Parts: sequence; structure tokens; C-alpha cells
Amino acid sequence: MDLTNGFAFTCPFKTNSGNKALENLPVELAGLNAFKPLIITSRPLAGCRAISTLKNAFGDSGMTLGIFDGVTETADLSVVEQIRDIFVKGQYDSIIALGGGVVVDVAKIVNLAVSQKVADARQLSPATAIRDPLGPFIVIPTAAATGMETSKYAFLQGKSFVSVHLMPDLVILDPRLTRAKDGKAVAEAGFAAFGRILEADIAPDRNPLMHAYAFTALRFLRENLADAVNKRCNKKASLAVANAVAMSGCVISNTDQNVLHRLGQVFQKIVHVHPGMIIGMCLHPFLDDCMKKDSSLIASLLLPLGGDDKYAAMPEAGRAGEALRDIYEFSYEIYRSLKGKIPRTITEAGIQQYLMNDVMDIINQEPDGAYLRTMIDRVGGGSIKA
Amino acid sequence: MGGLIIMKEVHAGGKLLKKVYVAIFLWFTGRAIQATAKVDKEVKKEFDALPDDFTFALGCLPNGPWMVVGKEKGKVKYFGGDLNSRKIHLRLVIKNIEAAFLILSFQESTALATTRNRLMTDGEVPYALSVIRILDIVEVYLLPKIIASLAVKRYPSWWSFGRKLAGRIGVYTRTLLGI
Repeated sequence: MDLTNGFAFTCPFKTNSGNKALENLPVELAGLNAFKPLIITSRPLAGCRAISTLKNAFGDSGMTLGIFDGVTETADLSVVEQIRDIFVKGQYDSIIALGGGVVVDVAKIVNLAVSQKVADARQLSPATAIRDPLGPFIVIPTAAATGMETSKYAFLQGKSFVSVHLMPDLVILDPRLTRAKDGKAVAEAGFAAFGRILEADIAPDRNPLMHAYAFTALRFLRENLADAVNKRCNKKASLAVANAVAMSGCVISNTDQNVLHRLGQVFQKIVHVHPGMIIGMCLHPFLDDCMKKDSSLIASLLLPLGGDDKYAAMPEAGRAGEALRDIYEFSYEIYRSLKGKIPRTITEAGIQQYLMNDVMDIINQEPDGAYLRTMIDRVGGGSIKA
Repeated sequence: MGGLIIMKEVHAGGKLLKKVYVAIFLWFTGRAIQATAKVDKEVKKEFDALPDDFTFALGCLPNGPWMVVGKEKGKVKYFGGDLNSRKIHLRLVIKNIEAAFLILSFQESTALATTRNRLMTDGEVPYALSVIRILDIVEVYLLPKIIASLAVKRYPSWWSFGRKLAGRIGVYTRTLLGI
């Protein structure tokens, strides 16, 4: 890290994590000068229990809340407009997004629409300038989180909005909401976070603040992901993974090194699979390439992943190899415990040829499309024939 | 799509039982602080070091309950639960009723609750530390060792048996009689 080059790092949100963290919501809202929040969620995606837990957390606050729980996987700007209308007519002053993925994307764009006082949210486009801070916005990720909830990105129906002002003011991680119904969802979220953070942390342009986030998140994942996948009642492990996933959104918002992230996003958009599935597949070929380019960056991963003792005991020359071995063991352990629930190659995933063609069309438009194509070929994408 | 969309407006409910528990606990502790200031030299010394008319409040957001304790003409008094009754120099605020219940039912010690971001201090920190030390001593007098160990950071095992016994009798008698 050469500090003389200068760097920038932005993390505008406060994190409130732990047992009964949700109950702090009324105080935190008051701190944001907000007293009538609109909760945006999805009953099928977040679950009735999560909604009820959130509602109970407001007990004794005397607040009035609006709950919109009709966001679906196929939500578009007309849903955003519908919620904007509710927000304005109900005179709400803040937005709480409960859930992950599309729920938070919708909430971010609603916040943009109501803060910029647009007459019709359907007119919003990625070209919309977002120059000023938006209204109070709180994200409460559940087990359905993908890691992008805390990022500066919002994707909706092929449109991509980017601004640091889209990031939340507050993120609340409560163990009552972070336990997943099945290990697959935890593993996918964990792989997505792991890949994004790892890529940012071995980039030549990483900075000390990003490294601090990456270090903590990588260690959280290394120590807790397997437990969170295997023992879903383990609150400590699932909360640690949720924290790492939330941190990954901040890290990805501060880096341009996002090969794995972009691959995950393309497959999510076209094939509708979790980005973590693709990131998990591409992790090994990506690391092999990085190892060939500069093994010293891989060597630095041994400290967060292997721990202090392992790092200290290993001579410098062997650290990169040991770090790679550790990552392979870690991912193998997760795949083995899921017994084939997450495919390891695109062939295993059974993605149709016509969808792969659409994926390739998008990838070919990327500046580094040739490299991305080789990556897909190496995880079985090239073997899919019509 | 219209059939799937659900919008409703709800009013936050109350947590009456927990609020009643916290109110009773604060009422009893307020009276016990008044009593302990007369029984225990250490607590008296702490109060003597605080300014005249110093008043502090302990309670929870957003709507209480509260406990207001302060000095009046050199004597320590419990002033009830009304924050407007006197000028408050220090407020120890528990962020919500759930956190208050966790702390006051001894599931979390004051120190642990502070690290978990459940408490806020509105006032001078040295005064807040004095009040915490006073509260710790009061809890040691009021509670059996097994429970007090959960409530305070370090149970004072170095106290003599006589101090504990005489102190407890004095504190409980004065608390119940309100003297």
C-alpha cells in the first residue's frame, strides 16, 4: 500500500448489530429526525415472522408505521411509483427496508424518488443526477441478503442506479432476522461476500480503510460461514456472516476491481441465480490467475484467513500457497456440507444454451470481455452446447 | 399485481408488563439510593464530592419510566419519576424498554450494556461514573450475591460480613419506610 498515491473511502452508514438491536430503531430514527417511517418489505421474501418482529420492536415508542409488504421478485418502476404515492399521501418521513435483494433495491429507488420530489417515479433512469443526500433510509437485512443492500448500487429491471447517496444511513443486524431457512441461502450470500471482498483486498489499489473492512469480514466468514451453513440455529455464526455480508457492500462501493462481482451480477440478471453461486464457481480460476500475476497479494490473505499463529509460523515464500490451500479447503468444506445443493460448475447448474448466449452477449460488451469469457469457459460455461 | 400489494398503517403497541417492572424497580432503587447515602460511608463520600443541588435521572426512552435522585440542602433525596420536577444535571438514558428490562432484570450488567450500545449519558462523564459506582454499591446491598454478581462489574468480596449485614438491614429498613 503506497499512501503517497492518495485514496478515498466512503462508508456513510452506521451499523447497529447484536441481540435486541432492532429495539434501538425508535431512538435511531429520532436521531435522524424521523418519526413516521414507511417499512418496505416482501411477505414471501422476508417472512411474516420478520415483519412481526420488526413491528414489535417499535413497542412503546408511540410511533405510527406504514407497512408495504407487496414487493415481488419482478418489481419494476411502477411499483416504485406506487410506493412513492403511498409515501407522499401518508406523509411518511423515512424509509425502512426489511429483507434483501430486490426489496432493498426498490426501497433505494423509492428514497431517491421521494427525496428528489419527482412527480412520477417511472421517469427515473440511471441518468438521473443524484447530487444531494437523500432522506433517512434504514436497511434491515434478513437471511435473503445478497451483500448489495449496503452498497451504492440499486438494480431494477435492467436499470442500474449508482450513487453513494443511495447507501443507507443505518444498517441493523439482529440475530432474530439473520437466521436462514436453509444452508444454501447462507452459503450463497457468504460466497458472494467472500469473493467481492477478497477481490478488493488483493487489488493493487486497495487502501488501508478498505483493508480494515476486508480483513474483518474475511475473518468473520472464514470462522463462521461453515457453522452458519451447518447449524442454522447458531445465532453467533449467522450474525457474523450477516455482518460480513453488510461489510462487503461497503467494500464493493469503494473499489473498481470487480470481476467476480460483475460475473455474479450478469448471471443474476439473465439467469436469475444468486450471484454467490457464480462467484463461488469462479473463485478458484480467478485466484489462480492472481497467483500468476502477483503472489505477494495472495500471501497477505493468510493473516485474515489462516489466523495469526499460522501466518507467523509460515515463511514468507510459502504464505501465498498456504493462503490458496486455506481458501480451497474453506470452499470445499462448504460445498461438501451442502451435498450438491450449490453447483460447482455452470454445467452442473444446468443453465440453458439460450440463456448462456444472452450472458455472453452482455459479457462481450465489457472492456475485459475476453478475460471474462475465459473465466466462464473454465467453470464449464464453454461446454454447454445447443 | 394489485391483489398482491398490501399496505397498512399500524400504531406501535405497548409493553405494559415490562414497563411496570422497570417502574417498580426504579422506584425501589431510588428510595434505596436515598437510604444507602445515610447508611454507607462510601456512597456518602461519593455524593459529598458532587455539587450541591446535583440531580441525576435514570430511565428509558422514549416515554420513561424515570427515577430522579439528587441532593437538597446536603441530603440525598429520591424525587420520584417526574423529569420536570427539578433541573437535571445528568441523565443516564437506556435506549428502549427492552434494554431497560435486560439491565434491570440482571441479564446484562451495566458495563456490558454500555459496551452493547444500550445506554447514553447526557451530562458530565465523571458525574456519570460516580453515579454508576453508587448504583453498584446499592445493588450489592439490595441483592443476594449470586444476582448482584451479574449486575455489577466486580462483586466486592473484600467487604466485611458486618458491613454487608448491617448495611443491608439499614438500607432495607430505610427503603421500606422511606426515611
